[in-house]
Amino acid sequence: MTTELITKETLANGRTYIHRTSAHCETGVTSALFRDKGLDISEPMIFGIGSGIFFGHLPFIKQTGLPVSTFRSIPGLVFKKAAKRLGVKVFRKRFRNQQKGMDELRRVIRTGQIVAVTTNIYWLSFFPRRYRFNFSGHNFIVLYENENGFRISDPALLEYTTDCSTHDMERARFARGPMEARGLMYYPLSVNPDHDIRKACITGMKDSCKQMLKIPIPLFGVKGMRYLAKKVIKWPDKLGYVEACRQLAHILRLQEEMGTGGAGFRFMYAAFLQEAAELFGSEELAELSQEMTAIGDIWREFAVVSARIIKQRGQSEETFAKVGGLMLICAGREEQLFKDLDKVARKLKA
Amino acid sequence: MEPDEIFRSIADVDGLKRGQYTPNNQGKYILDTNPSWPETVVNGLYVSDIRARIEEARRAVLAGQKSPLYYHMARRQMNTAILAKTVGMTVFRVKRHLRPEIFSKLKPSILDRYAHALVVSQEELKSV
Repeated sequence: MTTELITKETLANGRTYIHRTSAHCETGVTSALFRDKGLDISEPMIFGIGSGIFFGHLPFIKQTGLPVSTFRSIPGLVFKKAAKRLGVKVFRKRFRNQQKGMDELRRVIRTGQIVAVTTNIYWLSFFPRRYRFNFSGHNFIVLYENENGFRISDPALLEYTTDCSTHDMERARFARGPMEARGLMYYPLSVNPDHDIRKACITGMKDSCKQMLKIPIPLFGVKGMRYLAKKVIKWPDKLGYVEACRQLAHILRLQEEMGTGGAGFRFMYAAFLQEAAELFGSEELAELSQEMTAIGDIWREFAVVSARIIKQRGQSEETFAKVGGLMLICAGREEQLFKDLDKVARKLKA
Repeated sequence: MEPDEIFRSIADVDGLKRGQYTPNNQGKYILDTNPSWPETVVNGLYVSDIRARIEEARRAVLAGQKSPLYYHMARRQMNTAILAKTVGMTVFRVKRHLRPEIFSKLKPSILDRYAHALVVSQEELKSV
């Protein structure tokens, strides 16, 4: 078991960049960018402050023909929120023109500023081919230019820094299709030296509670989980067994793949609560962190049972009713957890 | 069946290292980089799903129902909407080019646009 693997790189202006492995691309990249500016902050902390935890079932958005269920907030929002709450000024731009997008990237990295770019993972040939899916929304950091193209640090996918060719970079940044990145690049300009991390944590927690409990649309938050659970139970009758398995596999994929840090970000949030408990010296937060871990374990069980169903196609004794039931348990416990968290966060002093 | 067995039988995915948060012996969260089995399962499922779709496309082309463009589109994990945006044509036109009799009459300039978008040579584009 390894905790953190570290690779060092020297940037264009002679500064040192430290590559750390992370669980999720956006939070990992944000954490690395802020660390580079001298704000030492961990990945779960960014996730908590940026209110990354969420649930949403989006039947009207299709990915390979299947409805999307998400366990996190909209891509890009964690970075924006975390930057705002920590008083970080950021530069964030999309490009209409490919050439201009590439020129701007080159110009900025030449000054020694590391830049995060959003890319389509399919076109990144430094990554094993079998894992390359057509998914626009992967973030990594560009360090400097070299003879092979660009030196990059991909905290979520690789444990080491690597090279990315100019062709790959152009294709990946400007790939067309759903969720187009349009060459999105971002980096922090300056960090407010007297930022208040405690206040940022409280804002993040309160915002998360609001997202999970108070959105008056039954597709989001805890209500969304209940809605989806009820749908899952009805799937075998409504769609037929094979199609129901496909849809279930898709939920599982969004929960465990896409670099969620395990159990649809629930473990990452538990890690955040644990860190926050140390920061505030709060016993209540430590308890909530343990509860979150327990919920994460139920999500894991959900994954185990689902995988059995998908694998054994009808011969297993596991049923869709059981899977839906597990999801309903998660919904109930998460509702209680976020209600408690809201109370605790209101009592905390910045 | 144990989770471990399930994933071994479901997926032939090599152990790609990905970070995930797990509590250590003292209950403190650390970043563990051993591949987790649920992730391996879902990845394996998705990989086999894509492979099946490409194989299906190849069969359709060999049977003469679709043009080779259909196979190359599937190979790049695209659908007509994405391909149309990448080459800068309407979806209607791209769908039309998926018909073998129309594809065989395409001008080299159009083929070149497809070849560029799908990163294959023009000769490759005409075969499967």
